[in-house]
Formats: sequence, C-alpha cells, structure tokens
Amino acid sequence: MGNTKVICTVAGPSEGRGPNRGGAGAGNEAKVDVEIGFAGFSGVERKRRGRADKRTAEMAHTLTTSFSSLLLTHIYPHSTISISLHILSQDGSLLAACINAATLALIDAGVPMTDYLVACTAASSPATSSDEGSADPLLDLNGLEEQELPFLTVGTVGASEKVSVLIMETRIKVDRLEGMLAVGVEGCKQMRELLDGVVREYGKKKVI
Amino acid sequence: MAPIQTAQVLLSPAELSYLHSSLSLSPPIRPDGRTPTQFRLLVAESDILPSANGSARVCFADGTEAIVGVKAEVEKSQWRPTAGEQRRLSVAAGDIVMDDDEGESGDASKTKGMGQDSWVEMSIEIPGFRDDDALPIFLSAMLTEALLASGELKDRLYINRRFHWKLYIDILLLSPPLSYPLPLLSLTTHLALLSARLPALKSEQDEDPLFDDDWAASISLFPRSNPNNPSRTHIKKPPVTLLVIAVGQNIIFDPSKEELAVAEAVLAVSCAASHTSSANPVRLLSIRTIDPPSRLTPPGIPNSMNSATGGSAPVSSTDAMAQREALNLSGVWTPRRGGIKRGLVGRVLKMVVEKGGVAEEVLEALEKVEVDG
Repeated sequence: MGNTKVICTVAGPSEGRGPNRGGAGAGNEAKVDVEIGFAGFSGVERKRRGRADKRTAEMAHTLTTSFSSLLLTHIYPHSTISISLHILSQDGSLLAACINAATLALIDAGVPMTDYLVACTAASSPATSSDEGSADPLLDLNGLEEQELPFLTVGTVGASEKVSVLIMETRIKVDRLEGMLAVGVEGCKQMRELLDGVVREYGKKKVI
Repeated sequence: MAPIQTAQVLLSPAELSYLHSSLSLSPPIRPDGRTPTQFRLLVAESDILPSANGSARVCFADGTEAIVGVKAEVEKSQWRPTAGEQRRLSVAAGDIVMDDDEGESGDASKTKGMGQDSWVEMSIEIPGFRDDDALPIFLSAMLTEALLASGELKDRLYINRRFHWKLYIDILLLSPPLSYPLPLLSLTTHLALLSARLPALKSEQDEDPLFDDDWAASISLFPRSNPNNPSRTHIKKPPVTLLVIAVGQNIIFDPSKEELAVAEAVLAVSCAASHTSSANPVRLLSIRTIDPPSRLTPPGIPNSMNSATGGSAPVSSTDAMAQREALNLSGVWTPRRGGIKRGLVGRVLKMVVEKGGVAEEVLEALEKVEVDG
C-alpha cells in the first residue's frame, strides 16, 4: 500500500495444533498461527525488533482472532494454518496492509473463507473552525499523517458493512468517530474490489 | 568446516547411489539435465524497497526466496591514530572523478586502509532458526568475510576522520532453507549492494557531515562502469559466493539439494571482479569447505549382508567393518568418507577464476539486472 510493503506466506493447514496441547483446545477446529517479523531495513532508521515486542504481539493477536473467525476452520480439525508476515517497508497503514496481504495469501493458498477480509485506515483532520461537522475525514494514511493525526484501522468482511476489525490507538471526540468509520468502510469496499481484481487476473494467467 | 543443517533430503540409499553414479559419469548427467556449469533459472529484482539505501530480491527455481535490504547510517568514528597527514579524499565527497583512470587509482590509495571491519554489520533471518543457531551465524560469517576481504567496501564508508557510514545488511530468507542457502543469499546481497546509494556529501573535510537533500545526486556505493570509457578495465563490484560440488572426477556448479546430498566435497568460493587489468578478470577472495551432507545419509545394506534377503548379517563388529570396506566397489551407497584432494581444489579454482569462467559469467549477468531493473 503505497510505500508500505508487506510480504505474507501461508503454510497449511498442516498437522498438529500448536505445541501438542492435548484435548484442552477449543473444539475440533483449525488453529490460526500468525507471526510478524519486522525487517531491520523497514523503518527510516535501521532497527531490529524482537518478535516478543508488545506492539508486534498485539498486531499478531488481532490478525489471529480476526482470521480465526473468518476462515472455515471447522473443515480442518486438529490442524494449524501458519501465516508468516514480513514487514519490508513501513510508511503508515501497517495493520491494514498486513490484513490485506494475509487475505491474499490465504486465497492463494486455497484456504476456504466466506469473503475477503479487507482493511484500510481513516483519520479525521483537525476541524478548520469550531464547527464540529466540518471535520474532513482522510482515507489511507501514510507514515507522516499517522504520526500527526488520530486515526483508526477498520477491517470489514467483503463489501458488506460488517466490521470485523477496528483498532484505534489515539484519542478523539466521539462524534468524529462516525465520520471516520463511514469513510473507512467505504475505503474497504474499494479495497475489496481491488483485491478481487488482482485475484481474478492472477487466476486467468494461471489458466492460460 | 561449516555444518549443514538443512531439512534432510529424504532419499533412500538406492536413490543416492543412482544419483551418485549418474553424476560421476563423464560428462555428468544431472537430474534436471543441466551442464556442469549451467545455473538454474532465477528471478531477480533490485531496488524494490523505497526506504532502504539498496535492496534486492532473488527467487530460485526451487522456490527459495530471499530479500536483502541495505541501510546506511552515519556514525561517529572512534579516534584512531593515523599514520601521516595526507589529505584524505573520499568517494562520497565526489573529489574523485569516477571515469578517470588516474583518479580511480588515486582514490584507492588515499582511502586505502581507512575502513574498519566493524563498519559493516550483517544479520540473517531464516525462518525456523533462532538468531544464535549455527546456520545463520556461519552464513553470516562467510558472507561478511567475503565482503570485507577486498577491503574496498569498508574504505568507501569513510566520510572524514570523525564520522563514517555504518552499513547494515539485513538478509531475510523467506522460505525455509531446502538446500544450502549460501549462493542465494550471496547473489541477493550482491544485487542489493550494487543498487545501494549513499547521499552525496556537501561538507568539507572534518566538519560534521552535511549531505545533499537531492536524492538524484546520490552516489552509488559501487560505481557503475562507464560505457563511454572502454579503457576502464577495473570495475569495482561486490563479491559473489558460489557453491561448487565435486563428485568423482566431476566438478558441478549450482547444485540442487539432491546433488548436494551425494556430493563428495562441497566448497564455497567467493570471488569479486579484480581491479587491476591482470590476466584473470576475477579475483578469488575466500574458499570455505562445507561439511558435505552426504555424511549424514543412511548407508545402504547390500543383499549379502541383509538377513532378510538371504545373506547373513555380520556377527561381530570387525566382521561388519571388513564387509563394509568392500561395499564401495559393489555400488551400494555408503556415506562419503575422507577429505578433498588438493588437486581438486586447484581445478575448481581454475574453473571459477579463469577468463570466461563461471564467476565472470555470473558477475556479468548480475550487472545486467541492475541496468534493466
């Protein structure tokens, strides 16, 4: 997405659920295992981030829960779907890029799901006057905008309005929220069409 | 000797024996029909990362993929007593005109020896391996050694007496290592370094470094050869490491994982373009022997020793040893014992370094990637 580059590989469904947890698992379903790695060259400054970083762990957990509910995991009991993400370049909308990359990778792997899980970011620029209604929502933020503005990441299932992921780490007034959310969901619909186009084109190339 | 910890290629002794015999023929018959010096198809892209000074991605035909990013940061130099007070010129300052032969040799002599090994840092990430496992550490050591061997790279990182560039090379192997990933990582590093650029220096001498904001004025870490000046024979390029195996009398390049499993000797040869117009266009930087994975393969049991097929199993250990000694002749696979003959090493080096040899081909091919991409 812009200068944010994320590469995602999917392995699975493969045998075994996690480190041999005998019987205590939640029913006969596949387990989704997400691993995120930040490359040292991804940011402006070269920085090596460990995997146990809190922010990394939180992003991974978000992805795990959202994909666990999206994928048809009951088809593959007692197995693990491993999603491995490598962040190559960061320039804003990181979580959204990860979600979109993982969706495409899962489709490429042939893991069944009901619809695409797409995500994008939205922010609300500071109101030019004291009039609350004039806040301009912005779509798809880059790195500089993310640092300055309060923003949220929203993920929806397909082109519907069903929000599956919503992450916001900054503070805003609650009446701005609706505008941002609406813009975000619209953006997700566009994203879904984009991803679908890519998948179909790739599929056509394969057939030919 | 560097150990190999790749996912073991699961081949039965019969398959190993078959591979070994077909590779020992003259000329060798490789499983995919390549000639001994033919490399597999690969996909290479360079300059793919907008936020890194240099980057490259290479995918081999067997599905292994690697991405390398090069980042440079200015760091304060530790004060070293300098011998003599010559005027220090540096590449970044643009004092040296790149396409002038005289200037080239002048540059080399004035910044020679100013670089330090610690200015280049490499990190390798391989899925499934921790950072302190043997494989990433050995690979990192071999690649760093090749990079620093010629001394040119670290000399380029010199800015002035108080500051220098610290080069961070981050290697990401995207797929689990099927065969020994050394040549893949080395090729990707080579491409990333070729595409790496440093901002142009605007400050003078020993002041705090100030750089040109215009990225279009940036200077390549490894200056490209100037097509207008054909007399330039010495082109500085980063090194490349090739994996070579020997089976019987044959020397084979770019082994696939099955060929590695039956290799009798495995060598990693690092070479770079030579910077003097000597007879050989390629300089040898380092050779490393690698423990051949054939030692870890299961040995075959001939029918004569297998009680299930009518033979008799050896009763005592001396009996077993005596029978095993005779196995080699009967074509039953046994793990390779013994080392590498010196003559063999000599032949390998000659094949790599000679004019029109393998290394020259590889370096030329890699240079083309940069131009087109």
